[in-house]
Amino acid sequence: MGNPITNSNQDPLSATNPPSNAAIPMYPGASDLVRQVAGQALALRGLTKSFGGKPAVDHIDLDVPVGSFFGLVGPNGAGKTTTLSMVTGLLTPDEGRVILAGVDVWTDPTAAKARMGVLPDGLRLFERLSGPELLSYLGRLRGMPADVVAARSAELIRVLDLDEAGNKLVADYSTGMRKKVTLAAALLHSPAVLLLDEPLEAVDPVSARIIRNVLSRYTAGGGTVIFSSHVMALVEGLCSHVAVMAGGRIIAAGELAAVRGSAPSLDDAFMHLVGAADVEEGGLSWLGSSPA
Amino acid sequence: MVGVFASLKWRLVTSRLRATKGATRAWLIVLAVVLAIVVGFLAFGVGTLRLVPEYATPILISLFALQLVGWMLTPLLAFGVDETVDPARFALLPIRPQTLQVGLLTTSVIGFFPLANFVVLIGAAVALGVPWSVFPVALVCVVLQLLLCVVLSRAASTSMSALMSSRRGRDLGMALGLVIFLAYMAFVTLINGPNQNGGALQSGVTGAASVLQWTPPGALAALPGLVAVGDWGSAALSAAIALAGLALAWWWWSVALRRSLVTVPSTTAGSSPAGRGHADTSIGVGVAGTARVVAGRDRVLVWRDPMRRMPWLMLIVLTVAWPFLVVHGKGAVFAVAFGAVFCGAQAGNQYGVEGSGLWLHLQTITDRVRARGEVVGHAITALIPGTVVVLVAIAILAVVRDDYDKFPAAIGVCLAALMGSTAAASYLSARVPYAQPQSRKSLFASSVPGQKGRTLIASLGLIGGGVLVALPAAVATVLSMTVAPVWGWVALVLGLVCGALALWIAARMTANRFLDQATEIFAVVSAGDRV
Repeated sequence: MGNPITNSNQDPLSATNPPSNAAIPMYPGASDLVRQVAGQALALRGLTKSFGGKPAVDHIDLDVPVGSFFGLVGPNGAGKTTTLSMVTGLLTPDEGRVILAGVDVWTDPTAAKARMGVLPDGLRLFERLSGPELLSYLGRLRGMPADVVAARSAELIRVLDLDEAGNKLVADYSTGMRKKVTLAAALLHSPAVLLLDEPLEAVDPVSARIIRNVLSRYTAGGGTVIFSSHVMALVEGLCSHVAVMAGGRIIAAGELAAVRGSAPSLDDAFMHLVGAADVEEGGLSWLGSSPA
Repeated sequence: MVGVFASLKWRLVTSRLRATKGATRAWLIVLAVVLAIVVGFLAFGVGTLRLVPEYATPILISLFALQLVGWMLTPLLAFGVDETVDPARFALLPIRPQTLQVGLLTTSVIGFFPLANFVVLIGAAVALGVPWSVFPVALVCVVLQLLLCVVLSRAASTSMSALMSSRRGRDLGMALGLVIFLAYMAFVTLINGPNQNGGALQSGVTGAASVLQWTPPGALAALPGLVAVGDWGSAALSAAIALAGLALAWWWWSVALRRSLVTVPSTTAGSSPAGRGHADTSIGVGVAGTARVVAGRDRVLVWRDPMRRMPWLMLIVLTVAWPFLVVHGKGAVFAVAFGAVFCGAQAGNQYGVEGSGLWLHLQTITDRVRARGEVVGHAITALIPGTVVVLVAIAILAVVRDDYDKFPAAIGVCLAALMGSTAAASYLSARVPYAQPQSRKSLFASSVPGQKGRTLIASLGLIGGGVLVALPAAVATVLSMTVAPVWGWVALVLGLVCGALALWIAARMTANRFLDQATEIFAVVSAGDRV
């Protein structure tokens, strides 16, 4: 896998020679790998991250075809968010390569980040701006002309049904509105790949339907969506491809039908793959018998 | 049940020490010893008032009252510092409110802060217990004083907790900081006023004590003296006032507690909607373009966000009024440099202000040009209003104090201090970033647990930066007074050149550091989301 990206696990800010995108060498074979994965929207090779010596993501390889609707599923703590954070440039990997739309994310972050749209889970926004102000700020910060930003954000706000937000501050948005405005920010610069971490978590059904429609339209137009979720029915209904993560590793990946195999549903296939068992009969017999 | 509360609090108090090891633990122990010595000295100092009994009682009456006010205001300014005193944490447990109140009282008196207060109060008991036969009375009084402080502080914070959990309430709470600051200014003016015959302070304390001794804390401080002289009528009245105060505070707390357990405050009531201002059309291309985009957002937020607005209101008072009121005679213009340093501090912790919201910049600011633009944008948001405030302050002082000859040197020194602290604040944003609590419960809760040291280093560092950059101009200023007035103009030029140079270097170094350490900075500042 070429030379690994290395990073100290010491107190990062006290390190005298910090790891940096500038410090990462253009190691031999870098362009070979980019050429090899030319047909992929995203390619991961040996991606690794440990916290306190415990691997959260353990040497994973993954290919996401261009134009696919790719679901990354796994139980809590499987490493989905850590993986997406390394792909989006929010977390430095200990080792490995991330090639997104033909660009190495950690050697050319500027080009890579121009090609990706991100919707992280649980991160704050600029809370004291209104939705339109946030979109205008981010669009102009990316160097987009102000009139293009204004036209696109007006359309996104209309399509995502955020008109009601008006001049309300993001701090006062509901969960659904926050997800929608973050999605609008992710789509604003028309990226090639959308990376969404739990995009429909805690979202009301109306907002969820709107988000799903927008994402379907985006993939129909040639874009690639990669999203993490632990709602199997959602993944089964939306995705063309799926990867199952558990314990920091990819344990199955490919087209949805192939991963599901002979199991009646993706849910059953998932339970089998991650080795989870239902609550055994006879357990918890004391439940409901008396108040404590 | 009280034992459970006590052990819970004890575990929380000691968990920090248990969680650390090696050098950090050693430093914590050293710090604790140093603090213990400081508190011991304070207690000894208060105890020595015993040697001057005629002053001991009036001084301690005022101190007891101040202590109580301090206890009441601290949780309002930094509510949420201690989860064991937050009633919402216990709302779902099957505990009667009376039991809960006693339990919360127990948790409130266990801790470093109450212990330090108690040690100093022992010193007060020594000072008040003259002759030694009334020392037991004084001891009972100081225990009651600590209880009064704790109970009233809890009552105030519990009744405010509903308000402080909504954004609107927290925004209003920001104003409290300004009120306290203005009260401090008024206090300074009072004791430092035109009546400077040396007796003002003494007569002020005696006068205040004669009123304050009829309040519960004052009555507790006065009681041992009254017992000592056998004034039983006044002593009984003082005891009644103190006990009534304590009972009233207990009742207030119990009412507030019962209400807070069954009321869910609105958490989404907005304070200030976004205005429909003119659309900013600047584009993030090049350093200047990016700086304009970033500064445009900062400008909006300084008006809209109380966390950013209130410091500027305080700074106007600190820079314009403080030298005017406190520094007498000629040369007051140079005191403006003090406020100038803190104006520059408004560019501080640029990457930590928005908590994990920094990810939006991580996605968009990816090259050195934009990163420099961002630093410059934040810096000019501090520099432009800072320069206006500093120049106005210098102009007013120069006119009122007839200090025209010091005008150029003062501008040189003060603007150098402003630009120097802005430059240092910018660089320290990337070098020593720290998480800011995003719950915004307090204007002064500026750091999160475990990052207090970082906050302190960043704060002291920017002051040091301001002083360092202003040093050449300050040397020229001294020469203008000792050698020739023309050095004043040299100070002006030196100040501007050094300031500009510091800013230029800081913008480059900050941007480089940010790009090199972006993910690490992001990890540090994201901790603010949890507080």
